[in-house]
Amino acid sequence: MTNIKNQIFSSYQKNSDLYDEIYDSEGKIKPVYKKLFDIYGGHSIQDYVNLNSKAKSSFFNQGITFQVYGEDNVQEKIFPFDLFPRIIDSDEWEIIEKGSIQRSKALNLFLWDIYHEKNILRENIVPLDLITSSANYLDQMNGVNPPGGIYNHISGIDIIKHKDGKYYVLEDNIRCPSGVSYVICNRTALKRALFGVFNHYKTHTVTNYAENLLDLLESVKPKGVDVPNCVVITPGMFNSAFYEHSYLAKTMGVELVEGRDLFVENDFVYMKTIKGPEKVDVIYRRIDDIFLDPLEFRPDSALGVPGLFAAYKKGNVTLANAPGTGVADDKAVYTYMPEIIKYYLGEEPILNNVHTYHCSRPSELEYVLENIKDLVIKPVDEAGGYGISIGDRLTQKEIEQVRKQIKEHPRKYVAQPIMSLSVHPTYIDKSESFEQRHVDLRTFTILGKDKEFVLKGGLTRVALEKGNLIVNSSQGGGSKDTWVLKKQ
Amino acid sequence: MSKEYTVTYIAENTYENWVDNAFWQFLIIPEENETQDLVSIDFSNSIHAINQFSINGYGFNTIRLHSRKKFKQISFEATFKLLKSFQEPTHLLSSPTMEDYYDLASSIDFKVDFEKYLRATRLTSIPHSKADLFQFDPNLSIYENLMSLNNWVYIYIHYTTGVTDVHTTLDEIIEKRRGVCQDFTHLFCAISKQNGIPARYVSGYLNHESGFFGDSQMHAWAETYIPTLGWIGFDPTNNILANKNHIKVCHGKDYDDCSPLKGVIYTQGSNKTSHSVTVVGQQKAVQQ
Repeated sequence: MTNIKNQIFSSYQKNSDLYDEIYDSEGKIKPVYKKLFDIYGGHSIQDYVNLNSKAKSSFFNQGITFQVYGEDNVQEKIFPFDLFPRIIDSDEWEIIEKGSIQRSKALNLFLWDIYHEKNILRENIVPLDLITSSANYLDQMNGVNPPGGIYNHISGIDIIKHKDGKYYVLEDNIRCPSGVSYVICNRTALKRALFGVFNHYKTHTVTNYAENLLDLLESVKPKGVDVPNCVVITPGMFNSAFYEHSYLAKTMGVELVEGRDLFVENDFVYMKTIKGPEKVDVIYRRIDDIFLDPLEFRPDSALGVPGLFAAYKKGNVTLANAPGTGVADDKAVYTYMPEIIKYYLGEEPILNNVHTYHCSRPSELEYVLENIKDLVIKPVDEAGGYGISIGDRLTQKEIEQVRKQIKEHPRKYVAQPIMSLSVHPTYIDKSESFEQRHVDLRTFTILGKDKEFVLKGGLTRVALEKGNLIVNSSQGGGSKDTWVLKKQ
Repeated sequence: MSKEYTVTYIAENTYENWVDNAFWQFLIIPEENETQDLVSIDFSNSIHAINQFSINGYGFNTIRLHSRKKFKQISFEATFKLLKSFQEPTHLLSSPTMEDYYDLASSIDFKVDFEKYLRATRLTSIPHSKADLFQFDPNLSIYENLMSLNNWVYIYIHYTTGVTDVHTTLDEIIEKRRGVCQDFTHLFCAISKQNGIPARYVSGYLNHESGFFGDSQMHAWAETYIPTLGWIGFDPTNNILANKNHIKVCHGKDYDDCSPLKGVIYTQGSNKTSHSVTVVGQQKAVQQ
């Protein structure tokens, strides 16, 4: 037994500077991973190589792919999946779940406030300029009451574990967070490959996401609607997350539509069907604000529906998430999250924030410019890991470049100390062995009318390149099945 | 006193190729407000598409059309009848001094309430190098300063059509010193905002009988917020205060919020658009 174990984990190198998710500081396997470690150790590396390639082709065959932008040829890729799951025990999960709900609720109250009374701005707890200078602030949303009072129906919160063993939130994604379909596919793939391992753990299911999502959408139906007709709107098959859009529509049992499938008449939204127009009441939209309605926002948008915003403003259709929500997931607003949580909920934040320097503040700008090599520099309004610079990986020339960019547009950048993401054993094709790789966790929180739900699982993303700290799929990351254990 | 107006708005579009599918949104209906009563709306189009009355993102009334048949040419005609009452603003000379004003405007509530109309937009940003084009006089009241700004813009820009369009930004307008009503208005708003006085762009119609500039098209002027007086209209294109000849449709941060016609047209090739506006007024004595 020991021998075989050696085969798989013998070459596993533990860097003592990093927080390892399965080994404790003395190099012992943590109790919660013990059984899994024994079971995996019972397989040979060759078994692994075979299982791994099977899992890969199964993803391809099911069309579970995404596209990477910015390369010469847009490429269809599978999201690399790792067979060794991550386990989160029930006590730790409770913190994550409560913390995710707390943040989502606080963000929702914040959005209501800044599009209505603006008290948090009047009390100067969050600076007025920070909100109104955000590219995602929509003047048109002022005074609009979204059905059920909900703005961020679906939030994707990115959490890491630092060296100190504590969880920190890196960002809140409340525009169109994606990735939940991978959570479910990863579970399915692992069950197919290694069904037996599930017998040894009491793991929460993740397949109940779709029913909760539908439940949420129905809870925020427009006034006067009895049984709402819900749809998912996608930019189309060329979008990087198209697989997810079709997956969610299919599993909820609702139509997947593009802008051209819908039209607005007398401020109501209809779907074209072979049986004639069918009224639509709730739209789970996976297109960005500015593309929603060419008559209101970008006139050249071919993705949206002319007249949709007026229908929304009149309360005849619900959009989830609400337009203008992106103003609150601006990375500069992120830095005020502890204050925002205290202001609206009167509570201390359950999950920690990473200390953030605002380049828009002269004193902090100075510090950032002088300490780029110790910091992560992030543009405030980009998603998907684009435009991030990690100070200690930059050449002198690149540092100068970044310094210049920040000086030109200070409002556009924030900086954070380089956080050391925890590592997890991950099977690496190239070396045919397990190695330490950095991981994070995206949780999916649903907020509806009298409804709160956090998917008990979430997406553990892995930076597959050794030492890399950026885990986004568009930056070459992979993912792991994430087990949340039931209370004993 | 009130006056009855008949406003006629005509737009004609001709396309090089067939258009299969098109949407239009007209932001041309006179606003109902304290001085304007809308009596009737008549709207027709040459392709017999159904008129839909709706609102835009800021809540102003719009007319929307959706074509269902192929066409190459389309015309729209709208006729509005309205009653306009107007009283010359009386307390203008009692407007606050600049000092009193800045005391008030420095409060956070004022900044939050008027932020939208204090924010420089793409069309109302003054280039840094021209930051001191026009200076407010601290010894004059706000109203007097705005009147002299109105006069200054009127003199600074030479009314010339065909030099600028609705996308022209102030750096170009300041350099050419030529333009039409929206350029006068953008410059006025920009300087007012730069001096901390909320200003908004107004789109509407101008009664042409008096031979003012900007009478055969839709007109634009500005409204600024003067504490204790409210929103006061200035027409820098004609160097006057907005009066009974100014029929308001809507307001916004700049032209982009007030564009009278927006279209989403699915076709290729070029197109030609022409608009015309006539305003006919009839004095009507109303017993008050």
